[in-house]
Amino acid sequence: MARNLFGNTPDITRRSLLAGTVAAGGMALLPAKARAQAPQPRSGGTLRAVMPFNPAALDPLTGRNNPDFNVLFMLFDALIGFDPATLELQPMLATSWKFTDPKTLVLELRQGVEFHDGTPFNAEAVVFHLQRSMTYERSNIKSDLAVIDKTEATGPYQVSIKLKYPDATLPAVLSDRAGCIVSPASVKAAAGGNVDRAPVGTGPFKFVEWQDNTVIKLVKNANYWGDKPYLDGIEMRIVNEFNTAVRTVTAGEADIVLNMSAQQMAVARRDPKVAAEASPSMIYYTSFLNYGDGPLKDVRVRQAMNWALDRPVLNQVLWGGLGGGHCSMFPTGFWANDPTTENFYTKDLDKAKALLKEAGLANGVEIQTFTWADQAAVQRQEVVSAQLAEAGIRLKVTPAQPAQTMQYFLTEKKGHMLLTPTGGLPDPATTYDRQFSATAYRNAAKIELPGYRELMDASMNEFDNAKRKAVLYKMQRFVLENALHLPQFTSAGIIVRSPKVQSFAFGLLQRPRFHKVWMQA
Amino acid sequence: MMYGVPGMVARRLMQLLPVMIVATFVVFSLVYLMPGDPALMIAGDYATPERIAEIRQIYGFDRPMLVQYFAWLANVLRGDLGRSLFSNEAVLTLILARLPHTILLVLYSLLLGAMIGVPLGILAATRQGTRLDKFITSVASLGVAIPSFWLGIILVTLFSLGYRWFPATGAVSMFENPFEAVYYATLPAVALATSVVAVLARQVRSALLEVLGSQYIRTLRAKGLSSRAILWKHGLRNVSATMLTIAGLQINRLFSSAVIIEAVFAVPGVGNLISYSALNKDFPVVQGVALVLVLVVIFTNLLVDVLNATFDPRVAAST
Repeated sequence: MARNLFGNTPDITRRSLLAGTVAAGGMALLPAKARAQAPQPRSGGTLRAVMPFNPAALDPLTGRNNPDFNVLFMLFDALIGFDPATLELQPMLATSWKFTDPKTLVLELRQGVEFHDGTPFNAEAVVFHLQRSMTYERSNIKSDLAVIDKTEATGPYQVSIKLKYPDATLPAVLSDRAGCIVSPASVKAAAGGNVDRAPVGTGPFKFVEWQDNTVIKLVKNANYWGDKPYLDGIEMRIVNEFNTAVRTVTAGEADIVLNMSAQQMAVARRDPKVAAEASPSMIYYTSFLNYGDGPLKDVRVRQAMNWALDRPVLNQVLWGGLGGGHCSMFPTGFWANDPTTENFYTKDLDKAKALLKEAGLANGVEIQTFTWADQAAVQRQEVVSAQLAEAGIRLKVTPAQPAQTMQYFLTEKKGHMLLTPTGGLPDPATTYDRQFSATAYRNAAKIELPGYRELMDASMNEFDNAKRKAVLYKMQRFVLENALHLPQFTSAGIIVRSPKVQSFAFGLLQRPRFHKVWMQA
Repeated sequence: MMYGVPGMVARRLMQLLPVMIVATFVVFSLVYLMPGDPALMIAGDYATPERIAEIRQIYGFDRPMLVQYFAWLANVLRGDLGRSLFSNEAVLTLILARLPHTILLVLYSLLLGAMIGVPLGILAATRQGTRLDKFITSVASLGVAIPSFWLGIILVTLFSLGYRWFPATGAVSMFENPFEAVYYATLPAVALATSVVAVLARQVRSALLEVLGSQYIRTLRAKGLSSRAILWKHGLRNVSATMLTIAGLQINRLFSSAVIIEAVFAVPGVGNLISYSALNKDFPVVQGVALVLVLVVIFTNLLVDVLNATFDPRVAAST
């Protein structure tokens, strides 16, 4: 087994992760006698969980960051669910959905579901929720639903959504914040319709209390429409400092800690009493490039940068080999990831130097770069800088807080490049759209290169999964051929848990549902 | 015109308002001038430019800095510290929920520091030049040099993860269970108290040496007063002003040190609140906490002066 960078502990690689997955799947094939020895789920107990981020709000409409989902999916069911390992869409509050024509989506809703406040879930509630998502002043997801022209209850448990233009990504959008249905009665009863801190959904757990940046307490929803949750309740502590957060589990003061990084995993793995686990993630590390101005306007310079990076080394050094050391925006095995394009760029300094020479930059080029100021980000920047320097590409780096880097690079159009993690969206077309479309905030250039729009529109207009996959493969190649960004590696979702915690799945989106989690006695 | 201690208190209270205005304006300016747009934080991971512009307008971030500051100040003068930009919680509620944890930490560490530091300083002064004096002086120097966060991590590793004597993280409210609250606060208080011990030991030693070397002490010795009586009746009484002043300064310093210690031990205090809010550019919360900390500093200094003036009426007359 490979040795990692942090000591003598055996290294977890993608291969060992896959082996673990296969082993878990193999359990199902074991004889009944052998399976009987496996621990059986039991009800009861309160899970003591920890995460490093305080949610901005527990109203899915006004919240804003991915880690909010650590709590949101306890409280809310979405209209459409997804398989955490593949992101394949699945029935949830909608038992089925169908595009009756390219501009009409019809949802059939589950019957007999109640919100936590006892009011019924039905088509009226869904229409109210979607209208609120599009019109509420504090809604952060108006742009997600900009495609919707009209929503209508076409039956007590049927909703028809008329679109302004065809959009195949809408079902995936309804598995996100926009689909997390909030009780209309709770909104109407709240002052100013503000339910940031009084969330009422249909999910497996009910809200009890939120002490800001300290703890969120939830209790089992005994009237849950599906299988009842095993846990009696969950106490989600918020501990901002990552190393302190891990200590809560190693000291036995918490059962599981979420959203850790490779450094904490290395520390936790030295303790035999806890389990540290990594799973593939849709979050990836890249650099946004301003390809509308300056040296990066020349595609040859952008390509040279891509040829200069040694991504397997980046993954090994910066993420302990837990992520994906390739240039795709998606993890290996994801349905929209073309395995033949995944390694479009591998380290080739000769090619990089030749492209720079061709661009008239034989003596190299200086790229003004912004990066986050935390220790891990600075380390990442140093390794990337060192690799690019081998090809004669010199980074002039300005570290700053994340919001500051966004302001400098995306709002004020300063510099040429921003090193940042990004991703984490359920639909791959949306991932491309939010980074490369001319209207995307993350596209500093605010332009689209020839050929992009046709592929983007095709990915939105194509409803057949196989054809859509082919379009997205083409998009992946287009983005890489034109070197629209500088991908470094895909991330991993990292947790540390007590062995007592069973059946936890972080999933590709790092949006866990604690519905099936149970605690050993 | 009022004289004596009441006059001094009245004069200090009159100085309060301008000090508060200047202090909060400085904090507001620093937070405002820090690069970064709070609208971006509020808008979230995948914001559109339109949504960011809308948020700027809703929250008034597009107004000039002075307009924003005086709007905040006008609300404060009406007793309203505002609401967090992110959690929408009332700032006063956020502060009041956290302040007891920080006050407990500060007072606990001050008590520990005084209980250990003052006797060490007395020992060192009364045994000047001996090995014990050199040992105490060296340990005190080390205590000043050791970063409290590092010591905190060492304490956790030894006494929480190793021996499991104390909790590694968290806090319990004093109002729910005072004994548990003190138990939880012990390790962070010890980490904070180390520098207090060091500073008090050094200062008490040097102040006491100065007093014990003065002419009137020599006269007392010549009159046959015992060393014990000289130390307790005359020496310590004369260094009490120094001890009080140092203790006051330590309280102010401990509030700032608590920012890091609260992060190491996951204590939900005001230090934790201000660091988290500053990173998120949550103006109202940062301003509110700054205001409270300014008040703490002013009233601590006032208390020290009142106590000094009570012990020594000359102080009241001179301030």
